[in-house]
Amino acid sequence: MEIVRQIAWLLWKDLLLETRRRESLLAMFFFGTLLLFVFHFAIEIPPDRAAEMAPGLLSLAFVFTGTLGLTQLFQAERENHCLEALLLCPMDRGALYLAKLLFNFLLMLLIESVVFPLFWILFNLSSWGRLPHLLGVTLLGTIGFCALGTLFSAATLRARARELLLPLVLLPLMIPVLLATIRGMEIVLRGGESYELLPWLRLLIGFDVIFTTVGFLIFEWVVEA
Amino acid sequence: MAQTSQGKPRRVLGGLAFLFILLGLYFALIEAPPDAYQGEVQRIMYLHIPSILTAYLSFLIVFIGSCLFLWKRERRDDILAHSAAEIGVLFTGLTIIEGSIWGKPTWGVWWTWDARLTLTAILFLIFVGYLMLRSLVEDEDRAAICSAVLGIVGFIDIPLIHMSVYWWRTLHQPPSILRPDKLPWENIHPSMLIALSINFVAFVLLYFYLLSLRFRLGEMEEEAKRLKLYGGSAKLTAMSMSNGGA
Amino acid sequence: MGPWGFVFLAYGVVWGALLLYLALLKRRRRKAEADLSRLGDGP
Repeated sequence: MEIVRQIAWLLWKDLLLETRRRESLLAMFFFGTLLLFVFHFAIEIPPDRAAEMAPGLLSLAFVFTGTLGLTQLFQAERENHCLEALLLCPMDRGALYLAKLLFNFLLMLLIESVVFPLFWILFNLSSWGRLPHLLGVTLLGTIGFCALGTLFSAATLRARARELLLPLVLLPLMIPVLLATIRGMEIVLRGGESYELLPWLRLLIGFDVIFTTVGFLIFEWVVEA
Repeated sequence: MAQTSQGKPRRVLGGLAFLFILLGLYFALIEAPPDAYQGEVQRIMYLHIPSILTAYLSFLIVFIGSCLFLWKRERRDDILAHSAAEIGVLFTGLTIIEGSIWGKPTWGVWWTWDARLTLTAILFLIFVGYLMLRSLVEDEDRAAICSAVLGIVGFIDIPLIHMSVYWWRTLHQPPSILRPDKLPWENIHPSMLIALSINFVAFVLLYFYLLSLRFRLGEMEEEAKRLKLYGGSAKLTAMSMSNGGA
Repeated sequence: MGPWGFVFLAYGVVWGALLLYLALLKRRRRKAEADLSRLGDGP
């Protein structure tokens, strides 16, 4: 299918740029780790409560790190009129949206895969077996984050105070994802029943599907404006 | 004159709103009995429930305006959405303040993270985000389009936000929390219901009155901006549009 | 502060704010009308 080719091509371009310049990935990774340190200084995390607080702290760290990634998302396109050039190509605008979404998602996935074990080590947690499930819940949340984040990253592309405006607009909308991810992780960590977890997972999946679709349909207006 | 004849239905609306507001105040403060448990403080309900309903109504209008604008790209739909957002942020902010004032004598605290207050605060933040997006995006047409997108996304998100906040709150606390603004419909005193209905009508009328004022203002400011940009040639267009001018 | 105190505080804040907003709208409208008539008769 034509659109899948377009997405693959765009994604490949961004990944290539990233592996060559490594701007976003390293910065995001170190920022995320730095946040964990700062959290520990700001909020005394007693060793016996670290597992309880892990979902909230980690989700916060990922949200802030993710927002950083989002402000960088269209950075390459801003230089040298690349965005206009891309738009001149007879390409589905939705392809650009999905490619950017996937790119940001992959970055965040990489970072989450490293930061999770790091948190476990730093705070001497034992429930290593739960990590894959926790990562799974976080993955669902990350998709939702990237869906809305990509849309509004493009919308705020030429706005003043962009680094402030993007989180200001995005975070209230992200509350369902934040709540669902954190509660979901809590349930996984304490070994709760699946009937407890299911509503939150359904909410996450619903959010992801709805806003990826909305973003896909609406993106062309946002980026061509 | 063109403007006066345009203003007549609005003035009627304003007059009606004023009437109902006075009526509503009388019923809320004098006619309605004090609550059996909360006493006089419960009278804040006659402000709070209409406020929050008008806030949601505002959001609906932002949504409708945003959809229409993205579809037809007519300036007036954008002005409608912007006006509704501005008034919406006002009503939402007032709802939060009312909730807080009601909470102090009832729960003993100025703020609590219960579902309703939290939801209203989130709604407020989304409205604020909408207005900030409008004012910070550089190009005007772009600002209109991007805020329309936010208006639509925000509206779709609201049920999801509701679900997540309610689940969060109810799964953590015992269901026997006494919520002062819970409506016991079967037990509600008839004069309380009357007072509530009158105040609700008053708020809706006032809302539409303010909205029409703000909308007209938006149109005028838009016109003034166009005139400034295009100068003399626009004068002829403006004259032909207002049937011969002043 | 007695119960009526809270009631009047709430009603005072709400109607005060609404009246303020109404006044603000009227002021902006006067300015817009002035602008329009100035520009309409302009060059």
